[in-house]
Amino acid sequence: MLLLDYQNVLIQSLLTERFSGAPPTSIDQVVSDFDGVTFHISTPESKNKIRISMGIKCFKDLLQYGADQQLQKEYGSYITDIEPGYDFTLLVDLDNLPPSAEERESLVKSISLLKRNAMAAPFERAFDEHAEMAKEASKYSSETAPQGIKEGGEVMAIHYREQEAIYIKASHDRVTVIFSTIFTDETDRIFGKVFLQEFVDARRRAIQNAPQVLFRNEAPLELQGIPGFRASAKGEIGYITFVLFPRHITQQRRTDSISHIQTFRDYFHYHIKASKAYIHSRMRRRTADFLQVLNRARPESEEKERKTASGRTFRVQG
Amino acid sequence: MALQTPAVVMDNGTGFSKLGFAGNDAPSFVFPTAIATKSGVGSAAGGGVRPAVASKPSYLTGGAGSGGSLAGKRGTEDLDFFIGDEALAAASGPGYGIHYPVRHGQVENWDHMERFWSNSIFKYLRVEPEDHYFLLTEPPLNPPENRENTAEIMFESFNCAGLYIAVQAVLALAASWTSHKAADQSLTGVVIDSGDGVTHVIPVAEGYVIGSSIKSIPIAGRDITYFVQSLLRDRGEPDSSLKTAERVKEEYCYVCPDMVKEFARFDREPDRFLKHTVTSPNGRSVTVDVGYERFLAPEIFFNPEIYSSDFLTPLPTVVDGVIQSSPIDVRRGLYKNIVLSGGSTLYKDFGRRLQRDIKQLVDARIRASELRSGGARSGGLEVQVISHKRQRHGPWFGGSLLGSTPEFRSYCHTKADYDEYGPSIVRRFALLGGPGST
Amino acid sequence: MPPDGKIEDGIQKTATRANIFRSQSLRPYLLCVRSSLTAALSLSNFASQATERHNVPEIEAQTSPELLLNPLTISRNENERVLIEPSVNSVRVSIKIKQADEIENILVHKFTRFLTQRAENFEILRRKAVKGYDISFLITNFHTEEMLKHKLVDFVIQFMEDVDKEISEMKLFLNARARFVAESFLTPFD
Repeated sequence: MLLLDYQNVLIQSLLTERFSGAPPTSIDQVVSDFDGVTFHISTPESKNKIRISMGIKCFKDLLQYGADQQLQKEYGSYITDIEPGYDFTLLVDLDNLPPSAEERESLVKSISLLKRNAMAAPFERAFDEHAEMAKEASKYSSETAPQGIKEGGEVMAIHYREQEAIYIKASHDRVTVIFSTIFTDETDRIFGKVFLQEFVDARRRAIQNAPQVLFRNEAPLELQGIPGFRASAKGEIGYITFVLFPRHITQQRRTDSISHIQTFRDYFHYHIKASKAYIHSRMRRRTADFLQVLNRARPESEEKERKTASGRTFRVQG
Repeated sequence: MALQTPAVVMDNGTGFSKLGFAGNDAPSFVFPTAIATKSGVGSAAGGGVRPAVASKPSYLTGGAGSGGSLAGKRGTEDLDFFIGDEALAAASGPGYGIHYPVRHGQVENWDHMERFWSNSIFKYLRVEPEDHYFLLTEPPLNPPENRENTAEIMFESFNCAGLYIAVQAVLALAASWTSHKAADQSLTGVVIDSGDGVTHVIPVAEGYVIGSSIKSIPIAGRDITYFVQSLLRDRGEPDSSLKTAERVKEEYCYVCPDMVKEFARFDREPDRFLKHTVTSPNGRSVTVDVGYERFLAPEIFFNPEIYSSDFLTPLPTVVDGVIQSSPIDVRRGLYKNIVLSGGSTLYKDFGRRLQRDIKQLVDARIRASELRSGGARSGGLEVQVISHKRQRHGPWFGGSLLGSTPEFRSYCHTKADYDEYGPSIVRRFALLGGPGST
Repeated sequence: MPPDGKIEDGIQKTATRANIFRSQSLRPYLLCVRSSLTAALSLSNFASQATERHNVPEIEAQTSPELLLNPLTISRNENERVLIEPSVNSVRVSIKIKQADEIENILVHKFTRFLTQRAENFEILRRKAVKGYDISFLITNFHTEEMLKHKLVDFVIQFMEDVDKEISEMKLFLNARARFVAESFLTPFD
């Protein structure tokens, strides 16, 4: 597996099975997703009504940036009263599904992307802001542009994990997405540095049209003076900046770009772990090799069994 | 975090892996413990990319000569693999070979297992292991080195927050607490764990497995399927494939109280003969008669001679023998709490028949010793076989139950503990759900 | 021995010149270790003088100074050296593996830990390295009686060669993997 899926596999497979007309059964499952997101899939009233609730740590942040409208647009009539303890709830009535198979499939798809869609709100807003500012900016030449346009919009902060956050800022010629990241493990930190260096270099070397990636241990200028932003004193937090250029956020690519960039942190951590797993398997083999070399030091065992022509065995006396 | 993340429970069996989150009543994913890797280079376990030894003495090349080919190949073969059902699908096509990293309940190939776990966590469960505690299972008598290897992988590769490794039989006992018959939550009992390949009878005293008394029976789900198949073949049914036999076994079989009487009953009540319709992929369907195999198939546990000529001890006798070979002071508790686990114990009335047969053995013995003692009376011995709703995934469910208790985390070893003491820390775990914990 | 430590940055980008220096200094280094170790491995069974009916590796016990020989350090450069501590019935060999940067540092640490974790199988591997070194072996007279002495020396030499190779290969792998991962992530944006 190279890239991570955008959707939640469990929700997807569960709903696909339910929607295909399998006999209704009661469900009650609490499942996790990346970044401390919790889903609760249940059938509280009857077996035909599936309730899907999501608990997400940064929902307050997301609401601030228009997650409400975003989710309303996506799920519309499926939204229901919020289940206590969670942040957002959908209710699907199996007796009232869309008639055609394709529509049902796209409903499954869209529900399994619930986390992605909630997290997408600030990105959508940033992209919209960018589009407006770009329109505004095209009226001026670079010298005469008024202050506001040069500076860009406000920085949106999403504290999606305990110690890590995503910051998004739109301006007239780009959208900047900054991930703050922290490593609890020394090995991970060093591996992470190697990986990030390659992220930074990739654009220069291979993929010219990729977003620009920057990495540093001090807080980037964009984040200075943001209310509630604490710069780390010891520099244990790293900041990874993705600069998305207009070509990455055109209407037709925006959905994919948002899905993709959201998986960055988990992708990054997954691959650090996968390479550790690979190094483990190398070490296992090397250890086996070493053992083999050491065993050569053992003289051949003296008592060798030999066979006679008739197939009986005897021992050679030393 | 406001919501504490649920613990991840993974039960990797020889045949199937059960993955899910603690607190749920069923695993989220059940799929074969199989991994499909690129064949060719992949035959060398793990990453097959380590370059061949350079022909020149290595101190001349200084490790550089052979390293170049590695950079050239980029070494990404180790990411190209599938697990579970996808592995079976991939292996049926060209280019991939299938491997089963767990054999006889124990992990055999750690390279494959590590990648299997990696994919389980990141693709299926979708969790960041740093945020979650993990509960893994192991078979009884698992060598401590295997535990250490597991810990090494879980902590060093995945940095999981905390780890608990429990013995499957103990978890199966815990799973039986949901049954109304289990009066007290005791961790003393005999677990009869029957999966696809082999049936184990495992005595557990206060959470600790009595290793010397474990017995295995070479009769399990697969044998029942074969037996059904042979009966279908003998009658010349139109479809006697393994798959049909399996369906018949799962849908129609039950345990009868007495084999001879059941034959007579079938002859008396012809509506006990059923018909099973098989629809093949091309739309054609045939009907298969289902007759005596309905009760004969599970009967091989109780009368193995009808199926096998090598193994002739009936299951109740084995269970009785296991308990008799256990320390005398726990035997009463073991007879009182015989717990079923695994898919092949799901037949209707399996528990009832087992209980009756064991009871007969026990009573006969008591009577004999009463006679020998010349007039003394025994107070009798309670025999109870417990079957419950979560039997199929017993160990997983037990894990889910214990993993969702508030004190679970305090029983785990954390990443910090591991870093402090090293892998040997996992040789010992405090007994979860044992006396005094709940 | 030429002081070539500066040239040694582990990565083969600086290519041939470094390699020539390297191999030139590696050969005498290994030769020196080989002959010193062979000399040190003349061990005899020797019961403890301090405790009755005990027979312990004197180099570990350190109870009788007269049974210990002079320890010997063979240095290739400031990052790579071998310490040989002989005694009447045991020899301790400790190796400091080359570590040019923090990546190699962590890889060496991981690898030696992995090996010592499996010390049981290696018999002569010490569970804990001597202070200041990455990995230690303890060879006693019982080992030399059971196993062929020159093959034991071969093992140590081969170990030293292969460990360096393994570390630099792992580092190369890490770089290659990082590049691959980065490009794979950024390609969909392209």
